[in-house]
Amino acid sequence: MATGVQIQERVPENLKKQLALTVQDIQWSYAIFWTISARQPGVLQWGDGYYNGDIKTRKTVQTVELNADQLGLQRSEQLRELYESLSAGDSSPQARRPSVSLSPEDLTDTEWYYLVCMSFVFNIGQGLPGRTLSSGQPIWLCNAHYAESKVFSRSLLAKSASIQTVVGFPFSRGVIELGVTDLVLEDLSLIQRVKTSFLDTPQPFASNKSIPVDGITENDKDLTGPAFDPQILDTKVSPLLGCEQIEMASPNDSSDGFEPNQPAEGSFMVEGINGGASQIQSWQLMDEEFSNCVHHSLNSSDCISQTFVDHANVVPLCQGEKDNDNGLEDVQECHQTKLTSLDFQSDDLHYQMVLSALLKSSHQLILGLHFQNSNHESSFVSWKKNGFLKSQKARGKTPQKLLKKILFEVPLMHDKGLLESPEDNGVRDAAWRPEADEICRSHVLSERRRREKLNERFIILKALLPSNSKADKVSILDDTIEYLQDLAKRVEELESSRELTELEERMKRKPQDHVERTSDNYGNNKITNGKKSSINKRKACDIDEAELEIDYVASKDGLTDNLTVSMNKKDFLIEFRCPWREGILLEIMDALSTLNLDCHSVQSSTTEGILSLTIKSKYKGSTVASAGTIKQALQRVARKC
Amino acid sequence: MENSTQESHLRSDNSITYESPYPIYAMAFSSTPSVANLNHQRIALGSFIEDYGNRVDVISFDPETLSIKTHPTLSFDHPYPPTKLMFQPNRKSPSSSFSDLLASSGDYLRLWEVRESSIEPLSVLNNSKTSEFCSPLTSFDWNDVEPNRIGTSSIDTTCTIWDIEKGVVETQLIAHDKEVYDIAWGEARVFASVSADGSVRIFDLRDKEHSTIIYESPQPDTPLLRLAWNKQDLRYMATILMDSNKVVILDIRSPSIPVAELERHRASVNAIAWAPQSCRHICSVGDDTQALIWELPTVAGPNGIDPLSMYSAGSEINQLQWSAAQPDWISIAFSSKMQLLKV
Repeated sequence: MATGVQIQERVPENLKKQLALTVQDIQWSYAIFWTISARQPGVLQWGDGYYNGDIKTRKTVQTVELNADQLGLQRSEQLRELYESLSAGDSSPQARRPSVSLSPEDLTDTEWYYLVCMSFVFNIGQGLPGRTLSSGQPIWLCNAHYAESKVFSRSLLAKSASIQTVVGFPFSRGVIELGVTDLVLEDLSLIQRVKTSFLDTPQPFASNKSIPVDGITENDKDLTGPAFDPQILDTKVSPLLGCEQIEMASPNDSSDGFEPNQPAEGSFMVEGINGGASQIQSWQLMDEEFSNCVHHSLNSSDCISQTFVDHANVVPLCQGEKDNDNGLEDVQECHQTKLTSLDFQSDDLHYQMVLSALLKSSHQLILGLHFQNSNHESSFVSWKKNGFLKSQKARGKTPQKLLKKILFEVPLMHDKGLLESPEDNGVRDAAWRPEADEICRSHVLSERRRREKLNERFIILKALLPSNSKADKVSILDDTIEYLQDLAKRVEELESSRELTELEERMKRKPQDHVERTSDNYGNNKITNGKKSSINKRKACDIDEAELEIDYVASKDGLTDNLTVSMNKKDFLIEFRCPWREGILLEIMDALSTLNLDCHSVQSSTTEGILSLTIKSKYKGSTVASAGTIKQALQRVARKC
Repeated sequence: MENSTQESHLRSDNSITYESPYPIYAMAFSSTPSVANLNHQRIALGSFIEDYGNRVDVISFDPETLSIKTHPTLSFDHPYPPTKLMFQPNRKSPSSSFSDLLASSGDYLRLWEVRESSIEPLSVLNNSKTSEFCSPLTSFDWNDVEPNRIGTSSIDTTCTIWDIEKGVVETQLIAHDKEVYDIAWGEARVFASVSADGSVRIFDLRDKEHSTIIYESPQPDTPLLRLAWNKQDLRYMATILMDSNKVVILDIRSPSIPVAELERHRASVNAIAWAPQSCRHICSVGDDTQALIWELPTVAGPNGIDPLSMYSAGSEINQLQWSAAQPDWISIAFSSKMQLLKV
């Protein structure tokens, strides 16, 4: 079996042209030459490449007419340029990206795949190029987009780019990789063709040295014979644990398990494993339009996966036989239904944009700094499975007690004074549940605000009513209607009776506009009660009005207690009227002192069972309580009876 | 100045305990050192008293001498327990006056200026129209790319984004169907939130109409209580569920499928924090009194991921902070003690 042909050490100048010709000849999508890194021996990195796949947009600014070949070459150049600028941008995020002819939005998925490949490096023996080089054998990977990450680390990228077949063969101290978006069954003659085309074309190679490509070129492993692989695969089918598969795929074993080596051909194909194995790579079967804007981030060294024993799924591996197709389809369906049930696909495009913004601006992977646990100074000790001998069962307490309190109870503490009954809470919660329609979020927001306003008004209205039995909106409205009619009747009575007394009292006092004053009472009795000081000056002889006031005041709800709180920096002026009862003054003082208010002036008087207070106080803490909190506290006191 | 006592059955050389007069919940590390001694690290501690009068104290910690200093003047009142405290990340304070900016959430988002010997209230950020009706906040996060941007999460299912310099709301989104319990910034304009409806959603301020659910709790409507976004590697997030001993690690590139479930706590998990200096390490604390540090491997074994190291405290650990300013120290809070552990 021909191992790599050693032509020269460095990437030849016209390798790109060669790659171009080759890939155009076989009509595949791309060709990449992986070369041994000069800086890091033992590592394969991007040498050169040619992109021959789909292009999304043609940059219309073309001063020079180019033919197809040159266009292709130019495209590959531009892709490389873009890659360099992006990687430069990453290392110094503040630096503006140098303007390139292409921008990420112009690329197709396949172009992205090609571009991202530029960032990959492989150790010898790892990944498709690495294994190609180490084994010295071509590798033909079908269904690359379904391949396991271990086998083909760029499988997820391939999936987004619809690259179905990837072939690698050693060449000139490196590896040539070809890929195509169609499924092409293994055809060694194609590889031969490619190789010969490289050799035939006259190239000014400087054949300085004739160093063999690699030491590991012998077909030692191949000699295990065809019987080898079925055995391996059979024994691997039964255990359901994924770890054994990982061992199988470990590059150290040079992927023996995955190579059903047929000595005659020297390439490998992998048979899918039916049924049993239930390993799921965490992002194996994602949605088709996986974010193609992820770049840099899928290095082979940083996949995290965990075996999940989930619904029995087929491990998607490269396969060439038909009988495994069904298995793969099942798995795909399985996951598709799961994904569609999450209604994910509709938002996909938006999410891709989010991801691209996030991951572009993120820094290069910083592999963990030395995390020494053997550090003697550490408070932590190595974890042992049964290291904790004492059984630390929850002792019957609620789990996450404090966390739950912080999240569930503490927020409600702030609203304690306002909502008196659970029914109110019901009203509020119901109002806050937004509509299920996710598309019109802005409508939902304004609708929600409207509902919130309405509920607020209902609560205020309920508070204004003297007798409230139920908190539902209908009852509130009913009671309001009743009350209004009642009051209207009373007003009529009062007006008529006042006309009589006015004649008498005209001499004694200034004619005051009672009617208006009464309606003022109506008008001003809102939550934002700020102008009630006129009430304090009422004369005691207006018995009827006092009655009216008492009706208000005697209501269960504290909002009509004629309470004003005005604030000036740390000084508070509180004017308060409430029904008098024994000990209420003391309770009010107590309430104020718990709020850190230091009362330095109190004026109080009791008239007709109504206590009116004027308190001036200073705030003695560093935080100032809001007027709302003070009002709540005082209303709470007033309500107790 | 106290050194740790016999809380840990295991090593106790390099941990410092601070005994607070009241139970603690909220905790925050400052990102700037104190001007007096550049090594002093400020820590804010919020009390958890189930009453109106709560306090927030700021203490300082010297990692060289392993000592803690209390400052009686650096303290203020807070109505009801603060649900979260946070110092401004990457703060560049004016060179003349060395001050720190502390934010607290409770009924409203409040900002405080922590100076050398006093704390001054700066502003109360209140979005509600009337003074009586407020939507209390469960949590908030300070954007470290955009230092004037804070996102808050509330029980009224919304998340509010504030411009704290101008003191106005940038935007308010209905984030979930139920109460939102935590919020975390990924980038200047992208944040994620978790809620009682059991979902983790990512929002982009450039595209407010759409959000993406990247995970939903397997039992429907199991609330997700906390969220942590790995600032070193934005692909990964961690979240914890109610009454669960699992830490769920998510990869934002593959929604709905968790990348890993860390299941080694013997009781439910209370808090999580990613390592500030490494992209692979995460710490979690729980009711089993343990603090575990995990290292996320490239490929997990079949039996799940085991933690790297552990620490046992005296009682259920409620809070955890791993500060970028002090990546060698992890602070935990249990009952009324705050402990600093060397990593």
